[in-house]
Amino acid sequence: MFSKKMVMIVGAVALIVVNIIILSVTSARYSSYGSGRVAIFFIAPFQEAIAQSVQFLKNIWGHYFFLVSVAKESDNLKKSLNYALDKNNRYREIEISNLRLRDLLNFRKTMTNQVIVAEVIGQDPSPWFKTIIIDKGKSDGVEKGLPVVAPEGIAGQVIDSTYNYSKVLLIIDDNSAVDALVQRTRDRGLIKGQSGGRCLFKYVLRKHDIKVGDAVISSGLDGVFPKGLRVGYVSGIVKRNSGMFQEIAVTPYIDFDKLEEVLIVLNPPPKHEFVSEQ
Amino acid sequence: MTYCFYICVCLCLVIFQTTIIPYISLFSKFYDLLIPFIIYVGLFRPAREGILFIPVLGFLMDSLSGGPFGLYVTTYFWLFIVVKLVIKYLHLENNILLLFIVAAGVLMENIIFIAIGFMLGPDSRFPAIAIRTVIFQILWAVCTGLFFLIFFNHIHKKLEKWFNELIAEKS
Repeated sequence: MFSKKMVMIVGAVALIVVNIIILSVTSARYSSYGSGRVAIFFIAPFQEAIAQSVQFLKNIWGHYFFLVSVAKESDNLKKSLNYALDKNNRYREIEISNLRLRDLLNFRKTMTNQVIVAEVIGQDPSPWFKTIIIDKGKSDGVEKGLPVVAPEGIAGQVIDSTYNYSKVLLIIDDNSAVDALVQRTRDRGLIKGQSGGRCLFKYVLRKHDIKVGDAVISSGLDGVFPKGLRVGYVSGIVKRNSGMFQEIAVTPYIDFDKLEEVLIVLNPPPKHEFVSEQ
Repeated sequence: MTYCFYICVCLCLVIFQTTIIPYISLFSKFYDLLIPFIIYVGLFRPAREGILFIPVLGFLMDSLSGGPFGLYVTTYFWLFIVVKLVIKYLHLENNILLLFIVAAGVLMENIIFIAIGFMLGPDSRFPAIAIRTVIFQILWAVCTGLFFLIFFNHIHKKLEKWFNELIAEKS
């Protein structure tokens, strides 16, 4: 009576209508049924895990970019900090330099001799010899033989001079000798350089009462160094059973490893020479 | 080109030795940096190059040092001669030899310095600190000498290669 095709069309229309009615009924009021709860019970943990993983990845992704920007910011801050530290260091260096130069200036004022300031620009290439190169030469009036001093005491003597630079033999060099006396007792001797940054006070008679800590000053009798300049202090005395002299170790007041500026005395004391009468 | 390289290297070494090393306490007992250079010239370069350059180098160092004039010329010249004699009998390929040859050079320089110091100043003393200085210098030389030799050789070869290529391109 009805064709097969006709039955299918009617069935489909009826299904659509029923579906629409059910939808309109369920949409009007919400209620949960047991099957839904079971589904949630089983599915939710997985959902949670997946959601958390996604969130975790999202966080990592987000924080990565955040960290990149933080790292950039950190780099900038580090640069700023380094700059500030460098600046601070420079200020500190200027402060120290200022103090040192003030000392030098005060010392210069106390000296009656004509002096010029020179900067140490190099040291001896060999550890066996103790010389320094300074940035003043013949163009500044520096000549061979002139005494070189520092606020702490005697530094050495100019042994070579070019137009702009000079070489100074320090008093701790083996070849150096300074006529000196003990400030307290006025006993004379000769300060000779010795390896290890110390000096030997030679030719001091055994009978003289010299004590550790006594200051040793220049006598001015060598015709090189002005009288009264500090050389060092007595740091050791050896009186042997035999011999005329005692062995005295003297530690210079100047720390030669840290010597940066020196003063060159341009008018040293005159040398006393005998003139033979004819 | 070779002499330009020698001059540049020696200037750098001398300046480094006289202005930087004294202010670094770690290197206060470091050896003469020109010794590995002289040994390098003696080992790897023809004699005529060294004969001309070594005395000039010694003269330069004598000018900067407070020692008796000619001390460095003497030391460097004899060091160069000894190296030239040594390589006649020993093989250069042996790295162990290279490891100790700079130390031997440092020892030789110190012996010459001390000997001349005693000759010129009979009342000179030889304090314990001097022995310590020599020992430290030798240890430094053992640790670093080989690297200097390799460095000089490598740089020199590179420069020569570059220079030859430059000449070939222009011609």
